[in-house]
Amino acid sequence: MTEPTGFDLLELATPYALNAISDTERATVDRSLAAAPAPIVHSFNDEVRAVRETMAIVAAATSAEPPAELRAAVLAAVQSEKPNQLGWRTALLAAAAAIIVGLAAFGIGTAFRPAHTPSMTEQIMAAPDKRSVSDQLAGGTATVVFSRQMDAGVVTMTNVPPPSPGTVYQMWLIDNKGPVSAGTMDAAALTPSATHLVRNIGKSGMLAFTVEPGHGSVQPTGTIITKLPLG
Amino acid sequence: MTTLVADSIGYRPMTESRHASDLDALLRQVARRDAEAFAALYDHTRSRVYGLVTRVLRDAGYSEETTQEIYLEVWRTAEAFDSEKGSALSWLLTMAHRRAVDRVRAEQAAGQRESRYGAANVERSGDLVADSAIASDERRRVAACLDSLTDVQRQCIELAYYSGLTYAEVSQKLSANLSTIKSRMRDALRGLRGCLGVS
Repeated sequence: MTEPTGFDLLELATPYALNAISDTERATVDRSLAAAPAPIVHSFNDEVRAVRETMAIVAAATSAEPPAELRAAVLAAVQSEKPNQLGWRTALLAAAAAIIVGLAAFGIGTAFRPAHTPSMTEQIMAAPDKRSVSDQLAGGTATVVFSRQMDAGVVTMTNVPPPSPGTVYQMWLIDNKGPVSAGTMDAAALTPSATHLVRNIGKSGMLAFTVEPGHGSVQPTGTIITKLPLG
Repeated sequence: MTTLVADSIGYRPMTESRHASDLDALLRQVARRDAEAFAALYDHTRSRVYGLVTRVLRDAGYSEETTQEIYLEVWRTAEAFDSEKGSALSWLLTMAHRRAVDRVRAEQAAGQRESRYGAANVERSGDLVADSAIASDERRRVAACLDSLTDVQRQCIELAYYSGLTYAEVSQKLSANLSTIKSRMRDALRGLRGCLGVS
């Protein structure tokens, strides 16, 4: 789109304040504002502010009491962050170090660049609400470390024998709507250990493993060989 | 400034939402990592935040998750709050609304919207209003102001604010041109603002 200026820009103040523009257009507006004359910026900001103050009052019309247990969850999440930035950074570094060791052991030492932003895996490992569940899988071990906050988990398979030729292990996130594929691991991926990132765990209560033909299935066709409850 | 706004609209202290300037003070304490102030802020704002998020997401589970994310973001970013730029309540609810809208759009992009937000799940405007600590006279006053809008104005707010559509999507949905939609949104907000007495 063309960069809005002057009147066009002011026309976007209300949609902007209501979050009723796409991320792309928001970025365009922000860029235009940075270059716009001061009176335009002033009017734009006044409008945004008035809209937001108005909608803050309108929120009385939609107020609804959250479940009581949410309070404890919110306060606990914040409490676990309390050891401020230093503690947070230390925890992150410790987790990163553990992952480096882990990856080196797995022979995958490719993922690290200096001064990088934390990868999803690191963020999960450093998440205050991270949890870990393990169980046996075909004589080896399947472990998932997951974080509801990050909405993701990391699956590690150790000493799991390769699936029969022509099949793969497939992971499924199961919620009350049924199973959704969370990816597959073939024989090559399992030598001798593998990690796999699972995103969008949502409200899933379980990560289940099946053996599926070919490169995997849309819906599970094999029986569940291992279940990891995401409790 | 916020105090003046509050006074001018007769915004009385309520069980849940204290006087606006009290919330500003609480949020400034939260910026200094005061966990008690944070708990108080949660208690004074939770039904507005959760109610707004639920209104947009229409799913209790998603709403709880999103509300938790919002308060975590409050804790992490409270330092960025500047009372010169607006009230604490508007800062918080803007953030809450943005998160809820992002979530709806992400679900939509993932193609999950139909299953998650199918017709059976959709409640009409107002149905989700649960009993809460918000003073009923304030609720009535806001409802009366929403009623004072024209139908097309209210429809614009419904789609753009509560359904998470962009104004361009609203224009497509209503087969109206973009500038008409922008005007309706602006007029709707001016109407509400005048009715509620926001200066």
